[in-house]
Amino acid sequence: MMQYFYCPKCKETWPYPIEKCPHCFEKIQREEQRKKIKVLSVCKVQIPTFLHEKTPYFVLLLEDEKGHRWVQKSEKEYKVGDEFLLEKAKDKKNSVVLWRIKYDFYQAIEKIFDLLSIDVLADFKILILPTLETPVHPYFKENTSPEFLSALLEFLFQKGVKKENIKVLGQSFNQFDIGACAQKSQLLSVCQKFGVLPLDVSQGEFVLKENLEIFKDVFDSNLILNLSMLKQSRIQSLENLLKLIKKENYLSQEYLSSKEEIFKKLLEILPPVLTLGQADVVQRKDKKHFILDLLLGSFNVLNLERVFFEISFPNEIPPFLKEIDLKEIEIVGRKIPEVQVIAFSL
Amino acid sequence: MFVKGVGMTKFDYSQKPWWQFAFEAGLEALEDARLKIKDIDAIVFTSISSCTDPKQEHQTHKISLLSELFKINCPIIETPSVCAGGGVAMWTACHLKGFKNILVVAGEKVVNSISEDTTDKILSAAERIFEQTEGMLFPVQNALLWQEYVKRFGATSDDLALIAFKNHQNAALNPKAYYFKRPVSLEEIKNSPIVASPLRMMDCALSVNGGAAAVISEEKTDIEIIASAFATDYLLTFNRKEFWHFAASKRAAQMAYQEAKIKPQDIQVVEVHDAFTSVELFSYEDLGFAPEGRGAFLIREGIVNLGGKLPVNPSGGLKAKGHPISVTGLAQFYEIVNQLRNRCQERQVKPVPQIGLCHNVGGTGGSAVVHILRRLS
Repeated sequence: MMQYFYCPKCKETWPYPIEKCPHCFEKIQREEQRKKIKVLSVCKVQIPTFLHEKTPYFVLLLEDEKGHRWVQKSEKEYKVGDEFLLEKAKDKKNSVVLWRIKYDFYQAIEKIFDLLSIDVLADFKILILPTLETPVHPYFKENTSPEFLSALLEFLFQKGVKKENIKVLGQSFNQFDIGACAQKSQLLSVCQKFGVLPLDVSQGEFVLKENLEIFKDVFDSNLILNLSMLKQSRIQSLENLLKLIKKENYLSQEYLSSKEEIFKKLLEILPPVLTLGQADVVQRKDKKHFILDLLLGSFNVLNLERVFFEISFPNEIPPFLKEIDLKEIEIVGRKIPEVQVIAFSL
Repeated sequence: MFVKGVGMTKFDYSQKPWWQFAFEAGLEALEDARLKIKDIDAIVFTSISSCTDPKQEHQTHKISLLSELFKINCPIIETPSVCAGGGVAMWTACHLKGFKNILVVAGEKVVNSISEDTTDKILSAAERIFEQTEGMLFPVQNALLWQEYVKRFGATSDDLALIAFKNHQNAALNPKAYYFKRPVSLEEIKNSPIVASPLRMMDCALSVNGGAAAVISEEKTDIEIIASAFATDYLLTFNRKEFWHFAASKRAAQMAYQEAKIKPQDIQVVEVHDAFTSVELFSYEDLGFAPEGRGAFLIREGIVNLGGKLPVNPSGGLKAKGHPISVTGLAQFYEIVNQLRNRCQERQVKPVPQIGLCHNVGGTGGSAVVHILRRLS
């Protein structure tokens, strides 16, 4: 479960994704994951801290078959010697997967696909919709990070998907030029590096569905990936999906209906979309950041956002999400109390 | 190298700026050495204060501030190494070439906010992404490590309580310790709340503010530093091959004994890095005072008590004197020098020891420094 990297020559291992071995300069490789994990020790913690306000909780010392050891917070009490199991989602359409990134987006993406039992076939046509809002550098945490997009493309290529079948989409609804946003966010250079087509949705074809003009390719794809940069200020995953509507059509719809109505209608029209919510470092309303180190995944975008707000902003859940009953959501990978960081003031 | 003088402030929660603790301790060391600041030709300094706290002094160019305070323009080196900062600063000074008198100094104001804030500041000495997000605070790391030790060797929480009790008794005799004249009973220790099972609050060292300093020199004095050894280990505690003790302490001790050409049995007084009582117990073994798995016998049989054969932490240790992070390594030096010089009054080890050892650890065994000092007759 914990990803390790190793030098094929020296056999040294690292949990950190380094490039080369310091002994022999050999390229470091990703180690195959071990499935059998046992609990070596359990510690019950009673002291609250900034990152862990709610006590008591448990910290497990885990060990895999290869003897790698790591710690994991748990809301459930285990006994020493117990096998540590990871269950897959039963309700694939509505479950939310939570996974710690730990410097490695690739493993987090892999785990989300695994826990949601998503098969990616080599001939899949895939649309990727990153968060692309403003022409700023990645450290502002406004747009999807280039590391995340890189890891996703690597993962898809590993599954055999052809680069000509992948399109990375963007559309500007504000005053900023989408090309400038793509360039400054470094997402354009990722597309160029991997030879993947970046596409301005506004230049594409649209089909009319219940008063909404939707980007045509949406209905010809096998998989749509919504890479939302999760934030406190807005329901970013839904805002992303709006970019699949023709700009002029969306702006006219805004006069006729509330944003919530447009969201609801859009979700009824769209085929299943897998949202991957990036929450490694999260932007608060005041634009300051805090560390969460999470990737969230779900085919139910509302459930995903509901879980995200519960984790970090439980007292500021947007009204649109409040009606969703958290108890009805199946959460796999990690549990909310294990990863909860109430955004504290800096 | 030789020790000319030592200085240390009272360890407490006073809210002086970090530099004032360092300055006060530095002046005391200079006076003790009977030197003036113009006689110093290099300073080695350590601290984590303020650089971890952007809302307060927020000063990382500390060497320049020290230049201004001491009115000196010599080289000033900063060696930030968290809890091992003092030891690493001393090791650096011992390995500098071409300087006659070196002032080694540390000052910390780590406790200056709510306890969650202080805990988080101190946690900058550990790992955030793999460990702290998973609830690994220092007490948790040490509790899990202790559980592994117990599984292998079978010591008990009562042994740890005895260590805490001993260190509190010693601190009660030390005017510069936080717990001076405030002894704590064994019952209070055993009944203190569990913070990270099985470690109790009274198994944990006390974070305080303070300063300490020493002047070392190439010129011969009554105290010689006969060994200065330093070893490191992985930051991720359980990624280490041996995770039931501190291998870095063992390596540093072995190097130190080799350099000093002595054996562990030759040591007569020790300051051990008891950030947790469990660390003191297995450090008896890492430092070679007991075979592996037999450390508990030293406390059960009173060998490490003030009147015992090998007094450990006569100052009260980090547990009861207090632990001002980077300052600790130099505070240990202060205690051992004063023990060798027969200056410790009520807590003086008898007969006056000739050889003493300082053991300073960074994080949960991620670095360890061992110094051995000898009084020359």
